[in-house]
Formats: sequence, C-alpha cells, structure tokens
Amino acid sequence: MSITVERNMKQWLLDTIKPDEFAEKDLKKNGILFEALARPDQIQSVAREFLAQRYFLESLTAVDFAECLELVYHFNRWDGCRRVCVKVLVPKEGGVPGNGAWHAPTLSSIFKSANWFEREIHEMFGIVFDGHPHLKRLLLPESSTIFPLLKSFKGEPKGSDVAQSLKLIEEDAKEFRVQEAQSLTKKDKDYYLNLGPQHPSTHGVLRVLLHLSGERVLDGEPIIGYSHRHHEKMMEIQTYFGCWPNMGRLDYVGAMSYNMGYALLAEKALGLVPPPRVEHIRVLMTELNRISSHLLWMGTFLLDLGAFTPFFYCFDDREQILDILEMATGERLTYDYFRFGGVDHDIPQEFAPAIKAFIPGFRKRLADYDKLIRRNIIFEKRTKGLGVLTKESALSYGVTGPSLRAAGVAYDLRRDEPYSLYPELDFNIPTATDSDVYSRYWVRFREMEESLKIISQLVDKIPAGETKLARVPKNFPKGEYYSACESARGLFGMHLVSDGSLNPYRFKLRTPSFSNLNSIIDMLPGCLISDVVAVLGSIDIVLPEIDR
Amino acid sequence: MEINQDPHYLNTQTPSPDMVRFFKVEDVFNMARANSLWPLTFGLACCAIELMAGGAARFDMDRFGFGVFRPSPRQSDLMIVAGTISRKMVPCIKTLYDQMPSPKYVIALGGCATAGGPFKYPGQYGILEGIDKIIPVNVYIPGCPPRPEALIAGILELQKQIKEGRTQGVMSPAAVNDSQDARPAEYKNAMSRAEFRKQV
Amino acid sequence: MIPELFTIILYGTLVILFVSVNALFLVWMERRVSARIQLRRGPIHVGWQGLLQTVADAVKLISKELVLPSESDRFLYILAPMLVFAPLLAAFLILPLGPGMVMRDLNVGFLFAFALTNITFIGIFIAGWSSNSKYALLGAMRAVAQNISYEIPLLLSTMGVVLLAQSLKMSELVAAQNSVWFIFLQPVAFLIFLCSSLAEANRAPFDIPEAESELVAGFHTEYSGMRFALFFLGEYTAIFISSAIAATLFLGGWEGPFLPGAVWLLIKTYAIVLVVMWIRWTFPRLRSDQLMSFAWKVLIPFAIVNVFITAVVLELQKI
Repeated sequence: MSITVERNMKQWLLDTIKPDEFAEKDLKKNGILFEALARPDQIQSVAREFLAQRYFLESLTAVDFAECLELVYHFNRWDGCRRVCVKVLVPKEGGVPGNGAWHAPTLSSIFKSANWFEREIHEMFGIVFDGHPHLKRLLLPESSTIFPLLKSFKGEPKGSDVAQSLKLIEEDAKEFRVQEAQSLTKKDKDYYLNLGPQHPSTHGVLRVLLHLSGERVLDGEPIIGYSHRHHEKMMEIQTYFGCWPNMGRLDYVGAMSYNMGYALLAEKALGLVPPPRVEHIRVLMTELNRISSHLLWMGTFLLDLGAFTPFFYCFDDREQILDILEMATGERLTYDYFRFGGVDHDIPQEFAPAIKAFIPGFRKRLADYDKLIRRNIIFEKRTKGLGVLTKESALSYGVTGPSLRAAGVAYDLRRDEPYSLYPELDFNIPTATDSDVYSRYWVRFREMEESLKIISQLVDKIPAGETKLARVPKNFPKGEYYSACESARGLFGMHLVSDGSLNPYRFKLRTPSFSNLNSIIDMLPGCLISDVVAVLGSIDIVLPEIDR
Repeated sequence: MEINQDPHYLNTQTPSPDMVRFFKVEDVFNMARANSLWPLTFGLACCAIELMAGGAARFDMDRFGFGVFRPSPRQSDLMIVAGTISRKMVPCIKTLYDQMPSPKYVIALGGCATAGGPFKYPGQYGILEGIDKIIPVNVYIPGCPPRPEALIAGILELQKQIKEGRTQGVMSPAAVNDSQDARPAEYKNAMSRAEFRKQV
Repeated sequence: MIPELFTIILYGTLVILFVSVNALFLVWMERRVSARIQLRRGPIHVGWQGLLQTVADAVKLISKELVLPSESDRFLYILAPMLVFAPLLAAFLILPLGPGMVMRDLNVGFLFAFALTNITFIGIFIAGWSSNSKYALLGAMRAVAQNISYEIPLLLSTMGVVLLAQSLKMSELVAAQNSVWFIFLQPVAFLIFLCSSLAEANRAPFDIPEAESELVAGFHTEYSGMRFALFFLGEYTAIFISSAIAATLFLGGWEGPFLPGAVWLLIKTYAIVLVVMWIRWTFPRLRSDQLMSFAWKVLIPFAIVNVFITAVVLELQKI
C-alpha cells in the first residue's frame, strides 16, 4: 500500500514538478528514499500533494551555502519509513540578512508545524517567508539582531554588544509589562495571563501566554526559547566525538535515546556494524531510561493535577533505575555512554543481576500505580475528554510519540523504522483511541510495561564479546545524512550535512517535543486554567530539547 | 542591563543598613534562618532534575528543613539557580531575585550557573556565562549536573555561613560586558553548494 | 467588671498562645505525616525529631522583610492577613472543654463559630484584590465561589445533629451524646461535614484558591514574611477549629473515661486532623467547576435528604 503511495509520489514529482535535481538515496545509509529539488514557487503545491497523501512535515531546516541558502523539507508517513526530502534554494541576492531580501513561500497555511519551523529559520538565517501570519523571532529575544546559524556569523564582538543585547531584552520585558497593564484596563472582560517562565507546572522555563475570559481560555500561545543553548551552532565547531555530551544534555530525561540516535546516524553513514553485545547493552539502557523518563513524567504530571504523593513514589523507582544506569555509565542524568560502533566501556558484572532484582519490585509498583491513580475518580474526572487532539491536527503538527499513539496511530519508530535489536523483540505498541489527557497517561503507562517486557527478554541473553569496534573513522564522508529513532517523547531526527572535515557543517536536531508542544495551540481553547496545566503536563515536554 | 554594584545590594543579610540591630537577636534570627531555607521552585535545565531528586524520597532535603519549595518568590529565602541561563531568561531571573524579600541567598548549582559550563565557548551567542554576573552568589556547586548529595552539601555549607553571619554574596568582578569568552570564534566559512553537490 | 475583664484577657492570652503553639505543632505533624506517606523522613534534624523545625520557620518568617508591592492597595493589603487570622481566635470562645468549662455557652452555639470563620473569606478576597496580581485575584475569586457553595452543605449537615439534640448549644450537644455518638446516628452528615469543612479550610483536594501548580500560590502570592505566616497560621487554625467542632458535634466532644475533658477533645480533634492530612496527601485536586457541581449536585441534595429523614424518624418515634 505504502509502496504504491511512494511510487505515485515519485512519479508525480517527476511529472509535475520536473525537479532540477533528483536523486534516489539509500534508506539504510542516508535515511531518505529520494530527494528532489523544487523551485520556490512549486513548494506549496508539493506540500499540498504530500498532505493529500497523508505525509507529515517531519522536519524543516535550512543550510547556508556560499551562493544560496537551501531549505530542506523532510516529509514522512505514519506507515513505516517513507521519508522523502524536498529542497528549495533561496538565492542570496540583495546582500545582507535582516533586510528582508531573501524570500521563500510559507507552508504555514498547509502544515501547522511549519509555523514554528519557519519562524526558527527566519530568526536563525534571516529568510522571510512570504505570507507567514506571525513571523517573529522564536528562540531568541525579539530585540536580537543576529542570525546565528549563518556562516557569516562569527560571534558577537566582545564588549558593549552583549550588554546592549541584554538591555534590549530588558526593554522587551518592560514592553510586555506595559501591554499586560493595558490589557487589564481594557473594558472587555478578556485579559492576558502569563503562565511562566517561572511557574511550578511549566516543567522548566516555558511561557504560555493565555488569553482568558474569566478562567476560560480563549486561546493560548506557548512562547519558547528561555533555555536556548545554541546546541546546533555549538556542534559546528566541535569534533564529531565532541558532540556526544550535547546528546546527553538535549533531552536530559531520556538521554539514552539521544545517544542511540547519534550512534545510529554514524553507523548508518559509516557502515559500521556494532557487536551484538553492544546492541544488547544499548537496548537495555535505552529502555531502562525510557521507563525512568516516563516515571519522571508521571510524577510531575500528577503533581500538576495536585497529587503530591505519586511524585515521591515515581522518584523512588526512578532512583533505582538510575542506580543501575550509574553502575554502568557513572552518570545519573546526562549520559554520554554510547560511541560510534560501541559503548564507552563494558558493563560491570552486577549489571544484569541488578536489573533482574529490579523487575519484580517494579511490576508490583506498576500494579499499585494503576490501582491508586487510574482508578481514582478525581483523576478520571480531571483527565477524560480533556485536551483532545484530532488525527488531522496531529498530522498537521507532526506530532509523534505517545501523544500520537494516544490518538490511535500505532506509529513507533522501533517498529516502523526498525533499528538495533528491535525487529527481533517481542513487544506491543500501546495505543488509545480518545486522544485526550487520560489516553496519553494510559499509553505512557503501558509503554512502561512494554519496556519492562523488552528488558526482561534481553537481560538473560547479553552475549559476551567486544564492546567497541577496533577502528572507527573520526569524520563523516561528504554528504547529507538523516537518521531517526524513537525517544521517550517521540521521533528524534538528526539531519547532518558533512563537508568531510572533522566537524559537522550543519547539524539539525528534529526534536519531538518541539512539534508536540506546538500542537497545544489546538488543545487549549475552551480549557480552564486547571486544564491548561493538565494538558501541558500530558504532552510530556522537556524544554531544553525544544529550545535546543 | 544595569547592574547594581552598590554594597547594600550585595549584602543580602540585613533588610536595611539603617535598621537598628540587636546582636543577640540577630544570632537567634540567624539560627532560625539557617535552619529554615525555603527554596524557590525554579529550574532552568538539567540541574533542575537533580534539584527535584534532592527533594524527592531518597535524598529528602526536608530532613534539614529545606524541603518547603515555595512557588512564589515573595515567600522564599533561597534561589537555587539550577541550569543554563539563556539571555532571554536573564531579566526574569533578575526580577525574581529582586522580588525575594531579604535576607535572601543564592546558590549557583552546576557548571552553567557558575560560569557557563559546557556551553561557554568563544563566539557563543545565547547564554550568560555565570549567574554571578547579575546577582550575588553565596555558594557555588560544581558538577554537570551535581549529584543531589552535592546539592545538600552546598546547602549545609550555606547554613554554616549563615550561622557564622558571613553571608556577603559574591559577584563576578567581570561585568556583563566581559561575560563573553574573549578568544575569537572558530566558526566555519560557507562552502559552495555547487562543489558540494558535485562531490557527493 | 474587673474579674470579667481579667478573665477575658487571660482567656485571650491563653488562646493566642495555644493557637500559635498548636499551629506550629500541626505544621510539624503535617510534614511528618506527609513524609511518612511519601517514603521519606521529613524534618528530623532541627531539634528532637525535628520538633523545632517549625519554630525555626516561624522565627525566620518574623525576621523576613515585609514586601509591599508597589501598585497594591496598601491599607487593604495590610488589613487582609489580620482579617483572616483574628476571627478564628474568637471561635475558640464556644468550644466546651469539660463540664461547665466553656467561655461562652451561647444559644446560637456553633453557628457563631461558623459566622466568624466566614469572615476569613472576606480577608482572603481582600488579599487577592489588593495584591494587584492576576494570580492572586484568580485565587480570591475561586475562594469566594467555593466558600459560598460549601457553606450550605456544611450548615445543612449539622441540622440533623441539631434535630437530635434539640439544641444549638455546644454543651447540650455534648450532653446529648452521652449514650451514643452522633457519628453513628448521622454518618452521612459526618461525611458531608468533613468534606465541606475541608473545602472551607482550603485543604486538598479542595485547595483550588491556592492551587500551587495552577495559581503559583493563589491569593497569597504577593505576601511575604509574617503576613504570609498569618495566612499559614490561619489555615491550620481553621482546620483545628473545624475538626474540634466536628469532634464536638459527632464524636462526643470532651466526654471520655479517665482523662480530663480537654485532653479527650484534643485527642479526638487530632484524630480528625490526621484524617484531613491523610486525605490531602492522597488525592489529586478537583477542578473549580467540578468542585462547584460536587457541592450543589451531590452534597446539598444528600444533606437535605438527611435532614428530612432525620425529622421524619424523630416524628415517628414520638408517635
């Protein structure tokens, strides 16, 4: 079925668009089926066609070249890996960034996820998307004047500019306060409320600007960028090996999945085959980390609902997992353990017995949680039918992970784009149908059970052998690579442009929470303030992963 | 941003320098303050998770009386700056600090809050390299992220300082202007797309 | 005249002393109970078993700077915490501690206590209004809505007891429970009373006016130092008073063998407070509209039916 769709799509592209460049790619190496170069005026019709074929916009980024900027669109489908790449060139005519000379058409009217992607490109590269409804800075303060991901950006000059930019930020804040005061004195009954950046239940430094009437939300807009740490620019000056610590700090709650993603990217590109012992260790680690991530989510989510005690129980279980992971990696949180074609060092003797001792106790705990939480009537009343995300909306926003599976789409990269040991393992992909807060809870809860199942399948069968490859190249061959894996929050994709040198030319991180958070714009209207907190909690966001 | 280098701003111990002080009473107050540090519920990045772990079941900061996390800055005594300070967040942190009532204390948790951590490199554009550029810090805790034990040790150190009455905060001698790494950036130059395509 | 004044002053001093010490003890108890529920230890290092922890907290709060937000309504802002705390002290007037040991055995009895404790909600609303903060205002709004709704089931649930005792006087209510406690005759009323008094005291799962994860700190978001401490004291005193009234109305008050009446009352009150804490650390929070519908669609109908059945049964017994 999907193969015909894909063949039709290719044919359609070749016939209708007549791309200047077209190349078949190796899914196993480059992570995409084919790439095509469209003209800027064609990209909207291309996107419409992709949407009609039920593709979602997985990632949208730009690459800065000497003569032009290249917009890279990755489209993907929910049934297996059908990732295709369409590119558009934006010529660098008319001089400098910021004067609005570089234009491209917007996709924000077709894919809702394009809204944020394009805003990010706008602020990082200075491209103006014609027809974009809300083209403002996304991650940096509104008053910034820099376009950091351009190659012509060499850092701000030392001295007054930094103080200047800080002053500008302060002005932004002042201006906001004035607007807020004005909104209070208005005669209308509606007003604006800032939830965050410092708020107990925004899980970090997210700001949600709520437009309220009484306690009822008319609309809400997440404002992000308060923990923007320039990972992407930073990785451009680091060696490939030096990028490992960044992987641990992007999504610090589920860092192992990010380790896995980066290892996969390299192994696909370089054609490395890790030894079986490594694969076993990796899957064990990733799944343990997935459980610990879901536990942290569960604790904080229930804290948002006003139940304090589950937080402590979840952290108690989480600490036991961290003990096991620490035993092998030496770290509690920001793991930096995987290597290209291996892991950093072998696991200790006690590793497998510790996991085996952990499993039965945790099974019992899971049963307790189910009894205490899911069957609590207040919990049920607070979560059922709340924050419904339709399938159409999920497709348009490119929502992935448990939030998508709660909408009844069994899209899980461990199944649909199998990597590592997952094809051989026996596990289910839990789905729910209602797509509300309750379903999201229920899906994540059962995912913990499934992860536990995977762990118990593997823990007895860790084969002996090497944990590293003897020779691993230090750099990637020239080219473009894309790789994705299933993190605890959804599809984590990495798009690498390598110029053959020791450090990446462009490293785009497609993080799941970014698109998932974007989708709450559709979920918020009509909620009460209490519900806002529940909805925010239910999509499981990690802010530094969103802001990068 | 205007940074207040006035010594009263740095001295977080007494509400006002002009206040009449009774030294024995001050000692009693210091004992009480040391034993009842209420942190602000406030996390920036990775370290915030370890902060949560420090408050959770195994480490239980509440044993020492540090477990009352207050969401409102008006009711907290201790600001634990846990994580990377992005420039967009700087005015918010400054506001939060100014909203806290004296006496107030600041702990810089982890490498980022101390000096920029792993995100400090020549040419960086997004972060403030150390919270002590804008507010006075009482205790620095190293680590990336520090373990909850380190956090508890840091708070106990702060407790000792308060009991001894030496709670003058430290501000970085480098002004915000000098906050950036002085070395030149090593960013790459753009390559030609045509050549790149040819070779791929 | 002089001895009367002397008694009033003595009693007032005793009440203030008791309220402060009791609140400190209750906060300590709350922290230890919650720790017990949550697999941890709670405060154990400050003083024996952490008993001095709350004393340290209180002394610290006294020594903190009192922040006055620049755009607040100053007079009301300062007045609000007192309005919340002071009426609760007066409610101690009617608590019977033993046979004849009651400051004022009023004819209106516990209605007087409820009338007074309701003034605290005016204080809460003033606090939210005068802070000039949206979070505080939202908290205050919720508090008023909640108070008005829960006042009705609270009073209706006591009517069954009043019908049984044929009096509103606290002393006569206790005397009427000589043979059997009213909790056995009026179990539904007791549950309704407990739920409503939780809501009246802003305790979880009905703590929406200060819902930490939604409204930062609710109506007292902008309060610092001792003014904030007064809200804190007020909350715990309110819990104590409603538990004490519940103990008097349903658990036989000061009556009990061997020990003096005041001790029995304390034991019973603390038992109810323990249940209140247990509930707080077990349940998630209700949403504001659910809270309202719970009061109007569940508690009030049940309370009315309960009063009706009690009245009918009493009439039938007469025949």
